[in-house]
Parts: sequence; structure tokens; C-alpha cells
Amino acid sequence: MSSFEVRKQKERLFLMGIGSLTFLALLPLFHIIATVFRNGLPVIIKEGLNFLTGTFSNGGIGPAIIGTFTLTFLASLLGLPIAFLVGLYAYEFPRSTVGRWTKMLLQIMIEFPTILVGVFVMQVLVVPMGTYSAFAGALALAIILMPYVAIYTHEAMREIPFTYREAGYSLGLTRIKVLLKILAPMTKRGIFTGVLIGVAKVAGETAPLLFTAGGLYESYPSSVTKPIGSISLLIYQLVQSPSPADHEMAWGASLILLIVFLGIFIPIRLSLKEVKL
Amino acid sequence: MRMDGFKAIAIVAVLVVFAVFAGMLVIYFTNAVPAFHRFGIDVYLKNIWNAAEEPSREAYGIAAAIWGSFYTSLIAVLIVLPLSISYSIFVVDYAPKRLKNVIIILSDVMGGLPTIIYGIWGAFVLVPLLRDYVMQFLYDHLSFIPVFSYPPITGYSYLSAGILLAIMVTPFASAIIREAYEMIPYTYREAAYALGATKYEATKLLIGYIKPAILSGFILAFGRAIGETVAVSLVIGNTFNLTWKLFAPGYTISSLIANQFGNAFIYEYMTPVLYAAGVALFIIGLGINIIGLRFIRRWEENVKL
Repeated sequence: MSSFEVRKQKERLFLMGIGSLTFLALLPLFHIIATVFRNGLPVIIKEGLNFLTGTFSNGGIGPAIIGTFTLTFLASLLGLPIAFLVGLYAYEFPRSTVGRWTKMLLQIMIEFPTILVGVFVMQVLVVPMGTYSAFAGALALAIILMPYVAIYTHEAMREIPFTYREAGYSLGLTRIKVLLKILAPMTKRGIFTGVLIGVAKVAGETAPLLFTAGGLYESYPSSVTKPIGSISLLIYQLVQSPSPADHEMAWGASLILLIVFLGIFIPIRLSLKEVKL
Repeated sequence: MRMDGFKAIAIVAVLVVFAVFAGMLVIYFTNAVPAFHRFGIDVYLKNIWNAAEEPSREAYGIAAAIWGSFYTSLIAVLIVLPLSISYSIFVVDYAPKRLKNVIIILSDVMGGLPTIIYGIWGAFVLVPLLRDYVMQFLYDHLSFIPVFSYPPITGYSYLSAGILLAIMVTPFASAIIREAYEMIPYTYREAAYALGATKYEATKLLIGYIKPAILSGFILAFGRAIGETVAVSLVIGNTFNLTWKLFAPGYTISSLIANQFGNAFIYEYMTPVLYAAGVALFIIGLGINIIGLRFIRRWEENVKL
């Protein structure tokens, strides 16, 4: 066999190797989705609409679904305004000390262990209030949501050519007008993507809610100062239970969570080229 | 710089964020102080967990949890290494455009999937699978090797946690490495082909250019793995066990906090000890992420082609 043949052979082996490793890396996703559907669908079909609306002892996870949406909404309310401002600040003053530190801090916060955020909020909010609350859970989620949205805002703004700013300033506009009237509308799409990715992320979070939200599955949440449930928290508790009936409920809840997540994530992912995780 | 309306409002927001971060540091340190007073550095160096009603008989040391965090993350990163490099090469060099987009989207979906879904799948599907087909086999035939010498009774173990973590962070490391690999200008590849290199030989050459990006990908993946909580705590077995043995159940810092915080208030020193664990996780997480970000920034600034 000539040396060229050997090299050809190596090439073929290499392609087979990396092809199968790539396949192996993605394989768990298919298995997870298939398993969640196989185990979750029968539960949901058995309970019917009641699964989505009923309380836990009636065989439903209604309060948890409402809880997840409430928490996500409140977290957005708390986190988004700050995130925009911080993102804009990092964009406007990239060379200043505070600007550079802000960017560094955002990157650190995005990687930060989420359980630490939960325990922190517990200490500053749950302990003084004496009770778990929707507000505490939402605050923990807001702290996690913030860096995602800020970084996306920052990145989106950076893509706009500098000449647009110059044009704005030469018209005599103030910095705030240039940012809000000229640049922000041009980056709507990028910022919106950041918001949705952040929201998709916090909607599935569990660890920050462990010691803040408290959990509520037998009645619908009524006040932001009272405990609240969430789908992910419910799954976590049910998986640890020894009863097979609880495990079934956990699979059903997982399917709902998976559908919510894919429902938010897939459309955004298809509508743009890259995402930062 | 002149103060204007925007700056005045935005700086408040920035200060709030810095205050939250500083507040976290302060809260963790101040709440951990009683533990440091009582146990000193032993709280990190000893492996002991005696919860007692009388404070005088309480004794805690979280060495096993710190070890577990590093060990599981290390297992994860060792698995992530070949997977994410292969993924990047396959996606950039070989996959046709259509397939490439599909693979990238799938990988992103995997990276964003709620961790609790990995958790339930890990606890009910992955653990039994590994126990029956991998651990039992290795234990039966290779148990003379120390790392395989723990009988896999439940399957909840360091190995299960490491593999689950690997599955969870592969998309993350893959994205970093793929982005770096894609940035290498096509002319470099053309130059390699012009010299008569096969695709494999050109790839071998080009991978050398992105070594710093690969390294930072792994450091950041390690940081992610070490901070992961719920999925790990569902598969690791939650037992204080300071050992190399892969099939032994263990603890990680984050799963220890998740597991014990709920009833820690009954004991006088358990809460401070858990805050001390939080301090450890805080410092490890911060350190790893800063190093990882440094590497990637240095690569972007200096080596960027």
C-alpha cells in the first residue's frame, strides 16, 4: 500500500471517528425528549385537561404552571429595566473603569452558581419576612436573568456602525435621545432575542427557587408575599419522593416544562444565526 | 466625562448590580464566621458530619463535598474534551450546510434545556442504565482496579454525576470551541491543501491555532459543572464519601447546600457551615471563571487571526 493510500485511510478513519463522537454528543438530547414524551404523555392523557388546571391532590399541576409563569413575569419586571440600563452603560462607556468592570461582572454573573443566588435571597428576604414568597423567588430569578439580557443588549448595540451615533450627535441630540430614539429601535431584534433567551432560561431554573419560593401546589397563588410553586421545583420534589405515583406526576410535569421551553426557544433559535448560552 | 441624564440613571442601575454582588460576598462571609470560629480551617479539610442537638457535640467538615465537586467536574470535563473538539471539527469542516445548521440548533437546544429535565432523566433513566450495563460489568471484571472496586448497588455515584454533567456542559464547551475554530481564515486551510495535505492533516495543523480557546472552553465548562445543583443532587447519592472510587455515592458543595439547608436551622452550627460551603463555592466559581475569561480574552486580543 502506498503512503498516499495510508493517508487516505487515515482521513476516512478520522471522519468516522469525529462523526460518531458528534453523534454521541447529541444522542442524549433525542433520548431525553423521547423518554419525557413516552413517560409524560400517558399521564397527561389519563388526567386530561385536569392535569393543566387541577390542584395537586386532584391530579393536576395547575398551581405550579401558574407559579412558573408568575415567577417568570415578576422576574422580568424586576430584572429587565436594570438589565437594559446596565447593558447600555457597558456599551456607552466601554473604556471607562466602571464600564470595563461592569462587563467583567456581567460575564462572571452569567456563569455564577445559581444556588448561591437562591441562598443569598433567602438570607436577605425570606429570613426577615419570615416566610417564603413569590417576590423572593422572582428576585432570585431576576438576578440570574439580568446578565443575559444585559450582555445581549450590549452585543446588539455594538453591531451598529458608529456613524449613526455621529449623525445623531451632529443633529444636536443628547446622549439619551441618541440611545433611545436612534440606536435602541435599530437593535430591537437583538435585545428581544436576549430577553427571550433569558426568560427561557429562568423559566426552567430550579436551584434559586429551592429556598425562596417555598412551593404551593394545593391552591392557586394569591399574593406576591406568599409562597408560590413552580413546575421545575415540583419536579425536583417529586423525583425525590419514594412513591411511583409521584414519579408519574413528575414525568407529566417534565413534559409540560419541556413544551414550554421548546415553545419559547425553538422559534427564537430558528429566527437568528447565533445564540450565546 | 460630563454627567447627563442617561449616565445618571444608568449608573444607578450599575451600582445596584455591583451592590447585589458585593452584598452576596458580605452575606456569605458574615454568616460563615461562626463556623470559622468554631472549626477553623478544619471545616474545609476534614470529612465529618455530626449533627447533634447540643452545639458542643456538633462537628462538621465538608472536605468530601469539595472533593466531590472537583471530582465530578473533572470526570465531566474529561468526557467533554473529545466530544466537543470532534463536534467543532465535524460541524466546521465536514458537515454540509444544511446538516451543520441542524446540528448547531440541536446543540443549542441541549445547552438551554432546563437542568431539572436532565435531573429527572438522569435519576430515572441514566443511573439504572449505567448501573446495569456499565458499572456492573466493570465491577464484575475489573474490580481489582481500585477506582472500580466499589459495588454499584444503587448506581447513584460520582460516575453518574460526572457523566450527566458531561452531557449538560458539552454544548457549552462546543459552542466556544466551534466559534474559535470557525474564525481561522480560510486561506490557512487553502495553504495547507496547496501543500498537498489531506483534510485530516490540515485539521491537525489548524487545531493548534485555537489551543487557548480550547483551554478556556474547558475551564469555563469546568466552572459550569461545579456550580450545577439540582441535576447533580438527584444522581450523586448525597453521602459523605471521600474517595476515588467511581461507583461510590458522594456529595458536591452545591448538592450539599441544596440538601441540607432546609433543616439546618435546627442545629446551631450547621447553617454557618453551609454558608462556609457557599464561600468555598463562591471563591472556586469566581476563580475558575476569571481564569477562563482571561484566557478567552487574551486569545481574542492577541492571537485572533
